[in-house]
Amino acid sequence: MHAQDQADTSSFLDRTEFKVGYTGNLVWNNGLSLGGEYRWKETVKTKEKKRGQKTVTHQLIWNGNLGFTTNFSTKTDAGAFTNCGLTWRRTNTKGRQWSVEVNPLGYYRSFLPETYEVKGGDVSKVFLPGRSYYAPSLSIGFGKYRQEKKLTTWYFNANVMLLTAYNAGALPLFSLQYGYRFNLKKK
Amino acid sequence: MTQAIGYAKWKMALIALVVFCLSSCSEEDDLSDLSDTIIVRHMDADMPAYIFGNGAEKVFLITLHGGPGGMGLSFRGTAFNSIENTCAVVYFDQRGSGMAQGSYDEDGISIDIMAQDVLALVKVLRLKYGSESRFFLLGHSWGGTLATATLLKDQRDFLGWIQVDGTHSPRDLYAKYLSNFERVAAEQISTGNSIPFWESVNELVEEVDPEFNRDDISRLNSKAFDAEQELSGDDLINSPSGGRDDLVFQYNLLTFYWNLLNTQSLLDPDIQGILSYTDRLSEITLPTLILWGEYDMVVPVAIAKEAYDNIGSSEKRVVIFEKSGHSPMGSAADQFAAEVNLFIDQNK
Repeated sequence: MHAQDQADTSSFLDRTEFKVGYTGNLVWNNGLSLGGEYRWKETVKTKEKKRGQKTVTHQLIWNGNLGFTTNFSTKTDAGAFTNCGLTWRRTNTKGRQWSVEVNPLGYYRSFLPETYEVKGGDVSKVFLPGRSYYAPSLSIGFGKYRQEKKLTTWYFNANVMLLTAYNAGALPLFSLQYGYRFNLKKK
Repeated sequence: MTQAIGYAKWKMALIALVVFCLSSCSEEDDLSDLSDTIIVRHMDADMPAYIFGNGAEKVFLITLHGGPGGMGLSFRGTAFNSIENTCAVVYFDQRGSGMAQGSYDEDGISIDIMAQDVLALVKVLRLKYGSESRFFLLGHSWGGTLATATLLKDQRDFLGWIQVDGTHSPRDLYAKYLSNFERVAAEQISTGNSIPFWESVNELVEEVDPEFNRDDISRLNSKAFDAEQELSGDDLINSPSGGRDDLVFQYNLLTFYWNLLNTQSLLDPDIQGILSYTDRLSEITLPTLILWGEYDMVVPVAIAKEAYDNIGSSEKRVVIFEKSGHSPMGSAADQFAAEVNLFIDQNK
């Protein structure tokens, strides 16, 4: 068995992947998420087995996301978010992946319909109403890397994003993410 | 010639655009079939108000949901469909409830602030629909407590108050639970209805602290809902009718329950066993309609009589629905709507 840190000879675009997918909880919030990933560190462990060589890759990846969700049944539950952080990902010989994504830096902006602010006796209409929240998030997911495909990987994540300060506390938002990753240099 | 035809086309297009804009404006001004969602921003909270119904006469019924922490739109259904034909109904997600959001600390939510929110809602509706707009206030359960607090703060904005199975005195609810459970249990056991259940009610009454106890009031409240289920099973309470199926899609239930738990944990310690407006009910001089379910186990019917006796209004009426529990708008929808419509018609 041996492990190696892959030599850092690849270009920025080789190390960068983009992703696009569904984000939401299927019932109330549905939306789209876009993102980018930059492979920062990679360790490849190879073991000789009876059935052949077994290769397990561990990666640390910087990632950033941008998304929008809405509830089509109401005007009071729409918002956009952006976040960034680090992903740990394990890929086995068959391309099956497990990942944990931690995004300590996150921002969520809710979008509200026609809003009026009351201050003392005065009432005024609010321009571009909404509310901003600090919104760190955590995802755990799995996926499959397909070397031969242009969409190199499909992924499925369970995500929790914490909106804070929300009302008098914090609000966890749970969502599922399903999508594909691709590399611009892959033909 | 070709150029003249080109100009004519542009003219026609411009006229069509103007006509379209004018017709859009007139649609906006048509208040007879309102379906608006607006947000009231007040003291660091953004609270949705959903406005439906006939606003042609600019008469608005502001509804305050139960909880604390309930959903404004939970009222919509058969009874309120009928009321929406009479006036515009405003379904309000209170601070920390439903889809209301905001950023405030733990001192930023109290019954006093929430009463100010209701008065802020009135100001917003006046700005949006015109200063000649007229308002009625309806509170159900906890919403009845909040309505009482609102009217004691300023009742000049309202033409009438409809109190539906709501308590003006959460302080006294504990004792009312005990006496009501004893009364109904004795009555049901004597008629042979669900005897094991009512015996378990008597056991609970024996078991709990005779004076207010925070843990025990939760047990009593939970038993009250169970009791209404039993009474419904024994055909003493009509099954609720006319709830809206789409409610489950309009509120993210995860957000709703999270808000509910947080809001109750912040409000309950200042309210349960402490708050009472009984001594101040005489200050309320608005025309008042008190609607109650005979078998309300959650806010017992004795509270309706106490409210009637103490409210300062010279125009007051109490209606007890025989086969109803805590939510007569569901179990006696037609009579409920008829009473509300009549009251609004008489006082608008």
